[in-house]
Amino acid sequence: MLRHLLGFDMTRRMFWLMAKPGPLRDYYRMDYATLDTAWCEVDYLAIDLETTGLDPTKHEILSFGFVPIRDGAVRLGEARHLLVRPTRPIPEETAVIHGLLDGHLESAPPLDAVLPEVLEALSGRVPVAHYAPVERRFLTAACQSLYGLPLTVPYVDTLRLESRMMERAQRSVVPGTLRLNAARERYGLPRYKAHNAMMDAIAAAELFLAQVDHMGTKKPPRLDELATG
Amino acid sequence: MDVELIEIGDFLAAYHPFDMLPPEALETAVASLQSRYARAGKTIITVGDTVEHLYIVRTGALETRDPAGEVLARAGEGEAAGAAALLRGGEAVNTVTAIEDSLIYALPAETFHTLRQRYKQFAYYFQPLGGARLRTGRAVSNQGHGHGQLNLMSIRLGDMLRRPPVTIEPDATIHAAGACMSREGVSCLLVVEGDRAVGILTDRDLRNRVVAKALPYDTPVSQVMTPDPLHLEADDYLFDAMLIMSRHNIRHLPVLRDGALAGVITNTNLVQTQNTSAVYLVGDIYKRDTAEGMRDALTMVPELILQLVETGASAHNIGHVISTLSDAATVRLMALAEQRLGPPPVPYVWLAAGSQGRHEQTARSDQDNCLLLSDAYDPEKHGEYFKTFTRMVCDGLNICGYVYCPGEVMAMTDQWRQPLKVWKTYFSRWIDQPQPKALMHASVFFDMRPIFGNHALFHELRAYVLKKTQSNGIFLAYLASNALSRQPPLGFFRNLVLIKGGEHDNTLDLKHRGIVPIVDLARVYALDAGADAVNTLDRLETARDKGSVSKDGAADLRDAWDFISTMRLRHQALRIRENKKADNYVSVDNLSNFERDQLKDAFSVVKTMQGALATAYQTGRM
Repeated sequence: MLRHLLGFDMTRRMFWLMAKPGPLRDYYRMDYATLDTAWCEVDYLAIDLETTGLDPTKHEILSFGFVPIRDGAVRLGEARHLLVRPTRPIPEETAVIHGLLDGHLESAPPLDAVLPEVLEALSGRVPVAHYAPVERRFLTAACQSLYGLPLTVPYVDTLRLESRMMERAQRSVVPGTLRLNAARERYGLPRYKAHNAMMDAIAAAELFLAQVDHMGTKKPPRLDELATG
Repeated sequence: MDVELIEIGDFLAAYHPFDMLPPEALETAVASLQSRYARAGKTIITVGDTVEHLYIVRTGALETRDPAGEVLARAGEGEAAGAAALLRGGEAVNTVTAIEDSLIYALPAETFHTLRQRYKQFAYYFQPLGGARLRTGRAVSNQGHGHGQLNLMSIRLGDMLRRPPVTIEPDATIHAAGACMSREGVSCLLVVEGDRAVGILTDRDLRNRVVAKALPYDTPVSQVMTPDPLHLEADDYLFDAMLIMSRHNIRHLPVLRDGALAGVITNTNLVQTQNTSAVYLVGDIYKRDTAEGMRDALTMVPELILQLVETGASAHNIGHVISTLSDAATVRLMALAEQRLGPPPVPYVWLAAGSQGRHEQTARSDQDNCLLLSDAYDPEKHGEYFKTFTRMVCDGLNICGYVYCPGEVMAMTDQWRQPLKVWKTYFSRWIDQPQPKALMHASVFFDMRPIFGNHALFHELRAYVLKKTQSNGIFLAYLASNALSRQPPLGFFRNLVLIKGGEHDNTLDLKHRGIVPIVDLARVYALDAGADAVNTLDRLETARDKGSVSKDGAADLRDAWDFISTMRLRHQALRIRENKKADNYVSVDNLSNFERDQLKDAFSVVKTMQGALATAYQTGRM
């Protein structure tokens, strides 16, 4: 609620002062593009999380996938897929969906060892996610529990953008049309076979570029026209 | 690269030239990639830009246009744009636009150049398109095929001559001749008057005609020499020389270049060269007394083609060899017919048409032939003789495996067995009233070559026809239009267009969609130039020299013809080995990406030249 009163910049400045030395403080220290910047001058990090469920108070993060977007291009070579060792055994149905077997995760580092790398990748970049509330909730909960402060940052939500664009085009939004693959198909983007956090992050990144390209505005859209608080 | 980018690596590896990169290089390529998006209509590169990436299409399509707006290239899935600019150092001289919503993988210039430096095939792929690339491609794919060996079919006599001929005057004594041969270390002397060869004197002559007969040493050379020896031209093939030597049982053959003596080919020159089976086969055919006997000898032909293909003989030379075998069978059948019917009552010449006429036969094909008679021919008196005569020869050819022509273009058909004056009226009609049927006949009969008989008759007809066609704009325009009726199977996106359904599902017809269009083009160029060549490569060469086709165009078409013909021969050789009928339908699945690209290059050369011909003759107006 603080950010609604103070705006992003002030909130982030304040958190920087409040944070103990560590990854989150470093994260908040980085300068951030202001919301009136043209979209193409901003750096982004498309990010996708795999979790054991949707409630950060009950469920855990299993993996992070992310890829930077710079100068209107998805930097495939900088894409990462980081696994997290869960503290409890994973429910079987989740493991089947994500193809993450206990065996792989057992040898992965715990969340407190992985999160610094994620924060480092995020610093100075606007996160992009398809249905961002999941990422927002889990990331902020993780920061809260590990560093005592939330992660406050504007997100670009490609699902929201898609829904907004479809409404503007007066197309009916039936269930399923906003799913990542369905949305990608409308822009002629390929269907990737693999489903893991990293490929989904790449898929969301490409969808974002396609959406911006199709907005058809005369001037490049500004960050505040794309991002949501 | 993160192992999970394998999906992108797999995509690249499915396309040429990335399929030729080793895994570690592919990994480097993928790790440097950026994915970009361009909706339909968006310009990606503008003239004057500095291009910093190779744009590989993941989905969608890109189009390159020159500043005048002409489309230069289209890149579909797995294909790339921007290579030409990168090779120029990055300067863009053309515009690249997305013509569909496209996801593009951008490969940085630095990676592009590193890959080009390290991997030859990768570098090769991005050389300028078309003819130049085709030529290098041939060089690359010919490596390791045992080239560089002496080859009967590819060596011209002129290249075999080691020294100028050793000559002597006709009135010199045989003693002087023997001394000269011994001094020069040669086995034969050419007897010359001025620069004209009037005879040949060999060491065998000295033995048989001088020593054995105890002639005095002061006998003049002219008395024991062989007068008016057989000879060949420097442009003829070593194969031709072997043929003549084998048929006439001689060991020395003078060679002329531009009418002047250039040297002598001896059989020792030839013994060193391998691959004499074609020559023995010709000898074998001449020994047979029945068509059935010849057929047995000719069953060797498929095996011979296999052997020639494998030793790396060119399609041009193989066509020459196989046509020569057909010639031999024809000549032998005619000799047998004359033996039975007695000598012909009036002079005639037997003409081969179509692929045999052009020296371009492959596996055995239909017969295409006709008979040209002297104007002394009187149907009342001589009709019966030639009817029986041609029937015997055509039947014999059919038995040999050269089956009857379905279009009845055969000397046994009354219409195609006519005196010179009638042939002249035929050609006049075809040339003056170029109807579709006439053009079809014209195409067949413009490729005539005399096989046996009075060649002077043929030359008279030929001269008459060339005079009528050369610079005859209207006829040439019709012929050009006819030449464009068969297009290479290349789609809008430079993809190969396959036959769908039926017996030849998913194949390409290399003959009708590849070779025939080139043959047709070459015929137009040659007739335009008034050249009498009939072989396609000879036609291209002559037409180029006379300026009716550009130098580059001729060279590109030559390479395209050679590539497609060689591919067809290989295909036929494989079919024969598998005991299947040799046909012209190549399945694209059996081609490597490399071969597919070369085939596309060859087809695009044909397409370009057809376009140029259409413009030159404004065939669209007809």
